[in-house]
Amino acid sequence: MEVRRRTGLLLQSSGFSGDLTVRETLLMWSGLTTGTRPVDDVLDLLRLAGRADVAVRVLSGGEQRRLDLACTLLGHPEVLFLDEPTTGLDPESRRGVWELVRGLRDSGTTVLVTTHYLEEAEALADRLEIMHAGRIVRSGAPHEIAEGHPATIQFLSVPELPDLPVEISHERGLTLLRTDDLQRTLTDLLVWAQRRGQVLDGLQARSATLESVFLDIANAEPVPATSTSGGQ
Amino acid sequence: MATTLSPARVRTLARWNAVLLTRNRLALFYGVVLPLAPLLLLLTGDDAGVGAASIVTTMTFAALFPVFYNVLAQFVSRRDELVLKRLRSGEARDAEILVALALPGYAILVLVAVLAIPLAIAAGQPVPLNPLVYLVAVLLVGVLFTAFAFWTAAWTRNAEAAQLTSMPVVFLAVMGQMSVAFPDRVRDVVDLTPGAALTDLIRTSWFGLGEPGTERTLDFADTWAAAAQPLLVLVVWIGLAGWLASRSMRWEPRT
Repeated sequence: MEVRRRTGLLLQSSGFSGDLTVRETLLMWSGLTTGTRPVDDVLDLLRLAGRADVAVRVLSGGEQRRLDLACTLLGHPEVLFLDEPTTGLDPESRRGVWELVRGLRDSGTTVLVTTHYLEEAEALADRLEIMHAGRIVRSGAPHEIAEGHPATIQFLSVPELPDLPVEISHERGLTLLRTDDLQRTLTDLLVWAQRRGQVLDGLQARSATLESVFLDIANAEPVPATSTSGGQ
Repeated sequence: MATTLSPARVRTLARWNAVLLTRNRLALFYGVVLPLAPLLLLLTGDDAGVGAASIVTTMTFAALFPVFYNVLAQFVSRRDELVLKRLRSGEARDAEILVALALPGYAILVLVAVLAIPLAIAAGQPVPLNPLVYLVAVLLVGVLFTAFAFWTAAWTRNAEAAQLTSMPVVFLAVMGQMSVAFPDRVRDVVDLTPGAALTDLIRTSWFGLGEPGTERTLDFADTWAAAAQPLLVLVVWIGLAGWLASRSMRWEPRT
């Protein structure tokens, strides 16, 4: 019980009685939680104040998720478990949740988030565990995980290419270069283009992202027959 | 498993369960109107036979609807909405969630049992001969039908299915009232049902009716002895239903 008091838990799916209002639901949860913040504070925190007297039944999926999070944050959890907290949220609410998680993290709360959104993991995590087929296959800070994975340069395909010692591929009118030395390859490419007066439309260059790392892992390590597919 | 319950958490949960009961018209109907309706039977006559039949029917309804059916339907719908799963992720303990779910219906049962006394007296019926036995019988029946509700919920797929899955317990409850119509050998078995025990307890403890019929044959001292067997029957049923409920408890919907 001591553990329950000091942890907050957000399940993957919300569970509320549709006939209670948002405020009533929070009042009930605050009666079940030790050392709660005022309900109005939590309503403001999750931008639910305007919906306080609306029945939970008529809330949108995103609003229900925010209410769920509000219940979890009523106490002052030291450790917070969030199972896919932003699934089904619109982009604005997702940013709101990110801000909230960052705020909690900065105030000393340990937050454990599971997510399918790689940009979310990249934006929030100090430390990442990538799970594939039920196993943790990479651990570390986001930049550590991306380390050693090739960077990509892409641009709209041009008739001729310089001779570069990198992996080159083409898809849907785009040329993709994968390189372990982004700065050097990019310089070579740009110097070549400059000399030839070649315009590279849609030019993008980026270091390895979590997404590219994850896709590499998913492609390179086939799912063993005995286990089911994992998330991140 | 929990050793102590937090009264504050039980009160919070029970309060919102009561609010939810009032928000659902159908639940309010079977929770409040149905158990009170049989008291109207008291208006059909003032002999002890009418009185006993009215009170037995009233208390059977009060055990079946606000307690049994209500707890069953609330448990199943809360389970389907994942409310129970969510509650269990917080500080509330399982026993607190269960007690709080049963409390509103249980309170209605006790209220109806108490309210029946002045109403019956006003309708020309006698004052209960042994109110203590009457009250204990009501409290035990409430516990028993709560346990029946949790057990039935375990194999009830959803709230609609409860209309059907509630039948065995409804049958156990009403069979006792028909006991007089059966031959002796069948009656000995039927007397062991909770409904028959409740019927016996009301007839003896309130009206002093020791035999089938409408003649008062018991005095106050006799009511204790007459109560022993049916009270024991109720306690055994509580043990059985509680055991069945605890081993089959399901907190999450079938997937």
